[in-house]
Amino acid sequence: MKRAFISAGLVVGMLAFGVGVYQAAGFLKAGRAHVQKPNQTTGPSLQGSIYVVQAGAIYRYQHGTFAQITSEAGWMQPAADPQGGQLVAVRRQANESDLFLLERSGRVDAQLTHNGSSAIELNHWTFYPRFSPDGSRVFYAYDAKDPYNSFRVDLAIFASPADPAATRSVQWTYPNQYTGGDVNPIPLRSSGLIYTKFSIDDQSKVHSQIWYQARPGGPGVALTDSAADCPQPALSADEHLLAMVCMNGARAPDLVAATFFPATFSLGAPNILVKGQLVGSPSFAPDGKTLAYLGPGTSGGGFQLWTVPVAQSTAPTPRQIGSGLDLDATSAPVWVS
Amino acid sequence: MPRALIVSAGFLLAGLLGLGAYFFPVFQAAGSTVSAGSIPGLEPQRGSNAPFTVLLLGSDDDAKFPPDRLNTQSMILVRVDPSARQATMLSIPRDLWVPIPNEGPGKISTAFQLGGPEGAVAAVESNFRVHVDDYAWVGLNGLVKLIDQLGGVNVTVTNPVMDDFYPSDLTAGSSPYDYYRVAVLPGAAHLDGVHALQYVRSRHGDIRGDFGRSERQQQVLLAIKAQASHFNVADLPTLAKALNSEIKTSMGLTRIRQVIAIAGQFDAAKTHRVVLLPPYTSDGVIAGQDVVIPNWDQILPLVHQTFP
Repeated sequence: MKRAFISAGLVVGMLAFGVGVYQAAGFLKAGRAHVQKPNQTTGPSLQGSIYVVQAGAIYRYQHGTFAQITSEAGWMQPAADPQGGQLVAVRRQANESDLFLLERSGRVDAQLTHNGSSAIELNHWTFYPRFSPDGSRVFYAYDAKDPYNSFRVDLAIFASPADPAATRSVQWTYPNQYTGGDVNPIPLRSSGLIYTKFSIDDQSKVHSQIWYQARPGGPGVALTDSAADCPQPALSADEHLLAMVCMNGARAPDLVAATFFPATFSLGAPNILVKGQLVGSPSFAPDGKTLAYLGPGTSGGGFQLWTVPVAQSTAPTPRQIGSGLDLDATSAPVWVS
Repeated sequence: MPRALIVSAGFLLAGLLGLGAYFFPVFQAAGSTVSAGSIPGLEPQRGSNAPFTVLLLGSDDDAKFPPDRLNTQSMILVRVDPSARQATMLSIPRDLWVPIPNEGPGKISTAFQLGGPEGAVAAVESNFRVHVDDYAWVGLNGLVKLIDQLGGVNVTVTNPVMDDFYPSDLTAGSSPYDYYRVAVLPGAAHLDGVHALQYVRSRHGDIRGDFGRSERQQQVLLAIKAQASHFNVADLPTLAKALNSEIKTSMGLTRIRQVIAIAGQFDAAKTHRVVLLPPYTSDGVIAGQDVVIPNWDQILPLVHQTFP
């Protein structure tokens, strides 16, 4: 009898061991990184507020915690008005995207554009909204369509009054055809405009350059060399510093900042803040001393919120804000006081 | 036999059964792929550090096409040198006009339709005068699932990819001839499977057409490699379960294990990317079809710098 019990016990033990080996093998999986909502994580307290986007919802980071201010409804690319009262943001649907004015609390005030159409190819995109420095206009990238070629869909920079009742818009830029178009408008106090323009050379290489343009339809001038391949400009509030993402012929870009000389349409020597990492969407702090940007965590995966000091003689150390996020990398953080 | 030995053997057997059960989806998937020995001309070189060449094939396998009549929208020849930790990717234009073995002249994309993987391998081997050790084929859903299983891929989108006529063939309930609008915005991006597929498949709004998307395909392949380097052998069963029948390959488990093991060791900067732009090719019209005409005097020396 006793022997039978021991045998049964051993068999049960063997079965348990087999199951244990199965489970242990599963624990060895690297698997994918766990993504959490921003309001499930915390970080250090920073000056002002930072708006970021995850899964179609806008979050505000303030006093070390994130708060969700919109539902997950296709929201992206928020921008703040200079007076501090409103946000303008994109709401993206399947085939179109529109601009909306929102209160800082996330409540929708008004819809600025109406791009939807029942015919799929007659829908329009509107991306990258930015208020003019006086808050009266909104600049944005819009696909105006080519009436003679429906395959050509290139974004161009337009400006419209920040008034839902206004209908008049002004086309500022004319993109190189079949490049996808012009993006990232930054209207200046001088009434000029900085933006990203793309070109494709004879060797099929894509070049991105930051351009300055003084007036709508004007000729414009490149602020960066085509070989440096620098898109995604960000300008400090005093318009003295320009941050950008530069490829410089490498597979992974650098995050750099340079002094901006508007009188000569030129930039000073670039200061590399983050070297050789997949970074994007820089945005200055209100005092211009720190940059917020997006980049993957140390083990890859989705994009996290980072900050890095701008004015330092030695290589600055980036700081990650929160963890386990998967932020929309095309929505630059908005840092307001 | 001493009792202690019997008990030890029992525990060993139970452990092996546990491991076997865990890795069962891998063996099941391996059983459903084509073994190298069944394809004439495929003679994998042996040795864990020996360089090898894989032909990557991608097809639109939606409802527009009968499963046995698929073209290859994407053909990428990859040479991997594990000891040098280097790789070369050569994108072959889908419209390249070549002699297709046993069929006559045609676009190289039709070789898969006419002769399956063997036909595609034979067309590449005979025209490019290279030896292909293995092939791997993936359909639209397979690529989406692979990237989703990896948790997405990180890429730098070089410029806006805009397309008003992107096929809606993977959307449940819609006709394979429906379409929708795509806008993949520039800059650093974390793409899930559907958006990565949009990025590598769209071509209508790109002045470079098929060449542009070939470059994006190579970029996403590197991103897949980078993401896969975070995985290990214990992740294989989950991948195999998700990708069963979505990916077909002549690579055996040993080669797949080898690829995963070396994925993290490769420096992306050491990966040579080749797209056969002019002067290697030129546009033309043959038999009423828009085709890409190869300039073999230029192509073969380039290819033979890397591919034996």
